[in-house]
Amino acid sequence: MKSQPFITVVLFLLSSLPLFGQEFYEVIDQQIEQSTTEAFAGQSTDSEFLRRIYLDLIGQIPTADEARKFLSNTAIDKRSLLIDQLLQDPRYTRRMTEFFNVMLMERRGEDPNWQLFLSSSFKNNVPWNQMVKQMVSPDTKEKNTRGAAYFLTKRLEKYGQNPTDFPGLARDIGRMFLGMDLACAQCHDHLFIDDYKQADFQGLFAFINNSFIRRDTDYPAIGMNPVKVKLEFNSVFAEGTFSTGPKLPGMDEIPVPEFVTGEEFSIPPNKDTKAPGIPKFNPLDYLARQLPTESNQSFNVNAVNRIWFLMMGRGIVQPLDLHHSDNPPSHPELLQLMGQQLSEHNYDIKWLIRQIALSKTYQRTGVVNPSVANAKHQQYRVYAEKPMSAEQLMWSMLTATGQLSHIPREPADSEPDTDQPLDDRIDQTLEGIRADFLAAYANPPREPETEFAPSVRGALFILNGPRVLSWLSPRPGNLAELLNQQADNYAETLYLSILSRKPTSEEAKQFNQYISSHSNQAKAIEQAIWALLASNEFSINH
Amino acid sequence: MSRSQTNHPLCKPGEHTLSRRQLLGTGAAGAISWGGLGGLINPLVADDMATREKQVLFIWIDGGMSQLESWDPKPNTQFGGPFRSIPTSIPGIHVSELMPKTSQIMHKLAVDRGVSTFDNSHSAGVPRINRGDPKDRGVIYPYFGSAVANLMGPGNSGLPPYVWVKPGSGGFKYQDAGFLGPKYGALAIGEGEPPPNILLPNNIDAQQNMERNALRTFANKQYSESRDTIFSDAQNFVFDTAQALMQRQTLFDEPDPKDVQRYGDTPLGRDMLIGRKMLEAGVRFVKVNSYGWDTHGDNFNAHASLMPRFDQAFTAVVEDLDERGLLDHVLVIAMSEFGRTPRINGHIGRDHWPEAWSIAMSGTGIKRGAIIGNTNDEGTWVTSEPHDIGHFFHTWFNALGIDSEHTEYINDGQPLPIANDDCSPIRELLS
Repeated sequence: MKSQPFITVVLFLLSSLPLFGQEFYEVIDQQIEQSTTEAFAGQSTDSEFLRRIYLDLIGQIPTADEARKFLSNTAIDKRSLLIDQLLQDPRYTRRMTEFFNVMLMERRGEDPNWQLFLSSSFKNNVPWNQMVKQMVSPDTKEKNTRGAAYFLTKRLEKYGQNPTDFPGLARDIGRMFLGMDLACAQCHDHLFIDDYKQADFQGLFAFINNSFIRRDTDYPAIGMNPVKVKLEFNSVFAEGTFSTGPKLPGMDEIPVPEFVTGEEFSIPPNKDTKAPGIPKFNPLDYLARQLPTESNQSFNVNAVNRIWFLMMGRGIVQPLDLHHSDNPPSHPELLQLMGQQLSEHNYDIKWLIRQIALSKTYQRTGVVNPSVANAKHQQYRVYAEKPMSAEQLMWSMLTATGQLSHIPREPADSEPDTDQPLDDRIDQTLEGIRADFLAAYANPPREPETEFAPSVRGALFILNGPRVLSWLSPRPGNLAELLNQQADNYAETLYLSILSRKPTSEEAKQFNQYISSHSNQAKAIEQAIWALLASNEFSINH
Repeated sequence: MSRSQTNHPLCKPGEHTLSRRQLLGTGAAGAISWGGLGGLINPLVADDMATREKQVLFIWIDGGMSQLESWDPKPNTQFGGPFRSIPTSIPGIHVSELMPKTSQIMHKLAVDRGVSTFDNSHSAGVPRINRGDPKDRGVIYPYFGSAVANLMGPGNSGLPPYVWVKPGSGGFKYQDAGFLGPKYGALAIGEGEPPPNILLPNNIDAQQNMERNALRTFANKQYSESRDTIFSDAQNFVFDTAQALMQRQTLFDEPDPKDVQRYGDTPLGRDMLIGRKMLEAGVRFVKVNSYGWDTHGDNFNAHASLMPRFDQAFTAVVEDLDERGLLDHVLVIAMSEFGRTPRINGHIGRDHWPEAWSIAMSGTGIKRGAIIGNTNDEGTWVTSEPHDIGHFFHTWFNALGIDSEHTEYINDGQPLPIANDDCSPIRELLS
């Protein structure tokens, strides 16, 4: 394989590079800064950092009170204290659940068992290798984690008139856990990517092509038909027939054992309970053993690349699922080091997020000055803007407007809130709100959400949709009410509540004058709230 | 072999999906010139004929119209079916008796009866035809509408460049855009309904709307001053498009009853009428969709019912465009994914037949009255030079003033021909 010598060199370098008691975030900065001689932007302002870290770690902006408290805090270590505080916040679990759900399922659908798997995993900071193990070989006895099977079962569901998409599932295992999109190597060696061979795709395919969705459970569960022979395949380009057992790229092929007919099952199918048989040889067991392991470089590198993407808005390998020698990482050494460190830290996602958050690279300002104008994103010389997900926009708008406190807590308790009648056509439960935000901002199923893709649909939603407009009028404890009770200084409340910063004097003048000179002040307040919610500064994570 | 690869559902490698910078690069540049007009566009601008830009009306007949019951009748032959042929406004040229109105405007049309394509399945054939069957370069090519939206831009109407008028659901349909990215997808008008949230709520009047947007614009200016503007420009672009749509709510008004009578009180008539309004408003590419043409059973009764609806709506729109001087600016295309088998099956139906069928067109760049291509007496095979969809993409691009043989998309550094490079324009169809 072409990349082999290259990896060897890097590993050699790594072995001569001990950390010398450095914290890993210092290594990150060293690696980033030594990669170019050009200038870097300075540190972010406190409000820049505050908004960014809230959005990235707990999926929403801070409240005005939280912003005031942080901005007035003079402690030197207030940033690292905030990072640690947010990593312990229950909303960290929610944020990671939402992020990984979107990333792993790509808006294919929702399932409560899957949600439970994700949320209990992030709540308990379950190591990534263990989570992946559960996804590819779920244990039906574990209530909290068996929903992990949804990763497999949802992809085996038929949609439209398409046949069961086994190739798509094999492809997604490669994309999500190895950072390799082998789709084009299904029928032939990849035309442009020398590293991607047809045998790699077919080896992955052989792990799952005998699997099926179990119909005897009320939770997602995967069954496996006995695998009796190796998988045969032809190339549309090369002559001859080839065969493979289950095999991960760069690893040994798993031999397919032979069984006498009737002896394939350790537990035969049960006709009464409709429980499928348990075959003695289940390729998914081997996948769970081989895929999420320290020795699997691609697995480690893919994991850190996706966490880096979460924090930095792009991967060190970009696109995230095209890791190969002709699409080299922007910082190969850093990527290898991070992968090694993650496995040494027992695949502790929270540890890695914390290290990145503590780095100067993450805390750099997004404000562009002439010395960093036109800096390439992959140089990280200035902090690059990130798109906000439908969920981040939802939680942030709920927080900014103060509507959050008016949502019925439990579905059972979803009686209409009668503090003040809202437009009664609007379902103000979290489910109703979420459905609207997804319709306005989420990508269609099977489209990765890794790029900034603003849409007219989203613009019309905020311009005219009843959803957000219904949150702008005064209700107990909300932003509009607060502003209506004020006599001046509207701008400061507006900016701290919505943009998590104090207004400049020009901004203060503009907004204060607009509201105080308006013939209908209540209406002017609604307009001002709306304008900042609809602004680019609000809808971009910067 | 390579054909099946072209449309392989899995063959969409991410290296060809646009990088962030590319997605926004070209789009943002467009947004700067276009977005500046905001919601304040004067509707009259688009009606200025002197500066009118080229547009497309693409009529998609989903399921497969029978060429024998339409453009290429073979009465009194083994497979001809029960319908007669009638003379047209071009001496010596006949069409099926199911299109009497069309027969009278034949001199305004061009028809190629020598179409020969390859895929006879809906699932692969539809995308293949719509993408112009480019050679496999490992990317998903855009449908014609997305291609035109990208190559020609939105024009100065302020409206989205690609509007799809159809029965069923509306909304924002990304799927047609392929590697060009979601931005070049279609805005779909379903059941004649406007897109969601297009109406300004009752409790916000025009003055208030102006005020709140002025505040938003102020805030955006403050933010952009010290930022890379790529994201902001893209974001401003979608707001401007949204506001331009809001300015054109009349596009969704109840139609004039006289128009309804002329176009037909049918879904196709309704959608063709909306399509005409969209073209008049300056939309670059309008796709009008008719469903239900997959007549494997009872082909003749089905066509007896379907064809008059097409005949009426199609004739009305061509006549209207011509009357308004728009036919000199609008390329009109009417086509299916394939024709239907000459052989009549056991269910008195016709199956899929890509081997020999017809495509009709009119308007800008097209030679009116050019009826070209021939099939044999039974209509089973093309006897003239067969034309694949790749030839038509070349022809249409050239009709729109795009040199299809020397224009390329650049996708992540990879140059990609805009039409199949084994094909070339059909000169007999071009004016």
